[in-house]
Amino acid sequence: MQRGEYRMNCTGCKTESQWLLAVFLLVTATSASARDRGSPNDWLDRMSAAVATTDYEGTVIRRQNGEAQALKVVHKVIDGVVNEKVITQEGNGLEIIRIGNEVHCILPDKKSVLIEQWNDRSTLFSTLPSSDVSFGSEYDLSVVREERVAGRPTVLLAIRPHDSFRFGHRIWLDRETAFPLRTELVDNDGQLIEQFKFADINLESSVSQQALEPSINLDNFVWYTDPVRAETAEVETNWVCDDLPPGFRVISTRHEQLPGADAPVTHIVYGDGLATVSVFIAENEDEEIARRSNVGVSSSFSLESGDYQITAVGEVPAETVQRIASSMRLR
Amino acid sequence: MNDALKMQISAFVDGELPENESELLLRRLSQDATLRTQVSQYLRIGRLMRREREVPRMDELRKRIAAALGEQPDEIPAAPERSRRRLLKPAAGVAIAASVAIVALVGLRQAEIPGVGEPSARAAASQPSTERVAGYTEPSPEEALRSRPGDMLTQYYLSHGATSAELGANGILTRLVTLELREGELVEVVAQPPGAEMPSPAPGDTEPPGEDGSEER
Repeated sequence: MQRGEYRMNCTGCKTESQWLLAVFLLVTATSASARDRGSPNDWLDRMSAAVATTDYEGTVIRRQNGEAQALKVVHKVIDGVVNEKVITQEGNGLEIIRIGNEVHCILPDKKSVLIEQWNDRSTLFSTLPSSDVSFGSEYDLSVVREERVAGRPTVLLAIRPHDSFRFGHRIWLDRETAFPLRTELVDNDGQLIEQFKFADINLESSVSQQALEPSINLDNFVWYTDPVRAETAEVETNWVCDDLPPGFRVISTRHEQLPGADAPVTHIVYGDGLATVSVFIAENEDEEIARRSNVGVSSSFSLESGDYQITAVGEVPAETVQRIASSMRLR
Repeated sequence: MNDALKMQISAFVDGELPENESELLLRRLSQDATLRTQVSQYLRIGRLMRREREVPRMDELRKRIAAALGEQPDEIPAAPERSRRRLLKPAAGVAIAASVAIVALVGLRQAEIPGVGEPSARAAASQPSTERVAGYTEPSPEEALRSRPGDMLTQYYLSHGATSAELGANGILTRLVTLELREGELVEVVAQPPGAEMPSPAPGDTEPPGEDGSEER
């Protein structure tokens, strides 16, 4: 019996191994040319510099869950202050105008403007991974190949996770300027979760002041301020995660007073250098929280544990928030 | 076969594995027949799971490999279109239905709050999100019904969005999620009194365009 089995396996192996060998040879032979232009970290450095200094105007296509949305983007740095305008091209025509840290969200269909304060880092591209992000051992960073995006030659950088607890990133950088022309978030099967891609872009010309102003007349619009979001205080906590996925560690622990909540919640942030997961621990309230949900690329998982409601939220696979929320314990 | 190896294999097939790692992988495979069998099985399963998406350049590769080995292209493992569909149907049917329910409800909820009149169109346009990886159990219909973000959950998403933007991770993604939710939250914000100062204006900033419009009616 052993002999027969052995022979059968071996016949299978031969074909498979020949096939694999041939694939290896072909791929390795064709992919060397993309790597002659600096290390992946050099590219990330160049990208960080490019997004901080480049003025640009273009159309970004955002693709997610089979839906595509076009955004017109204008970006200009004036005396060190970021000026940016983003207009959605479909739906409600939402327009976002940013001057430094002040952001106006214009909602034409509601004749409303919402004023918010955003921090320095939340411009359209400013928080893509930079080389000072500590990748640790959870991701591999590599230059993959060259491709054209928006009519320009680009270099594809891949950030691949080693396990299924986090998403991978692919970033297509303009070969000349290292500006990110296309970014993708992918799951561990290589399935696209979200994509941003410039359909057209102008990186050379100077952007006019006019282009940064609202495209519609705001007379008779009602202006709203941001609700007072949260009073936060850094605290020590006895809550720990017993079964944190590899590479994640505590980044911050706070008490936050959220609008509509009777008591402050404990908010613990975990990160692996690239992805972050928030865990909220509240004393049980009347409101029932959905066990699982998704908004955009974020997932949440919520459960009751004794007198507490524990909810994990993050731009990670659903199993990751489930695992983290399920393994929170009081020390 | 562990996750790291699976990642390597899939990176390799996509042509995304760095050269030095490809060599290591090749060496490892050439020394381990069991692993080779597992890998080819994994590749087959991977292709089945990808359904609509062939591995990039796989057709081309298949032909060239066949030529190199002096074999018929058919001998190279590949799942033909028809059998792939048939195989998938029973397994995926239930899971996808559940996902649709969730997406539809989330879409509905978000579209409802701001008073936009066409929630169903938006919900219908949403495609089911792809089924998640192993270790994650698909929610039951009862769970799906409850799985729209409630008020508290919305606050959690917003707070997470603000925090992770502060921390500099995934900002491009987080910000748009946050905006989607904020839009739904508009009803809750306090109207700015006419003629009031802008909230904590950033010193030295250019006057925001359109601010003139907010003076005393």
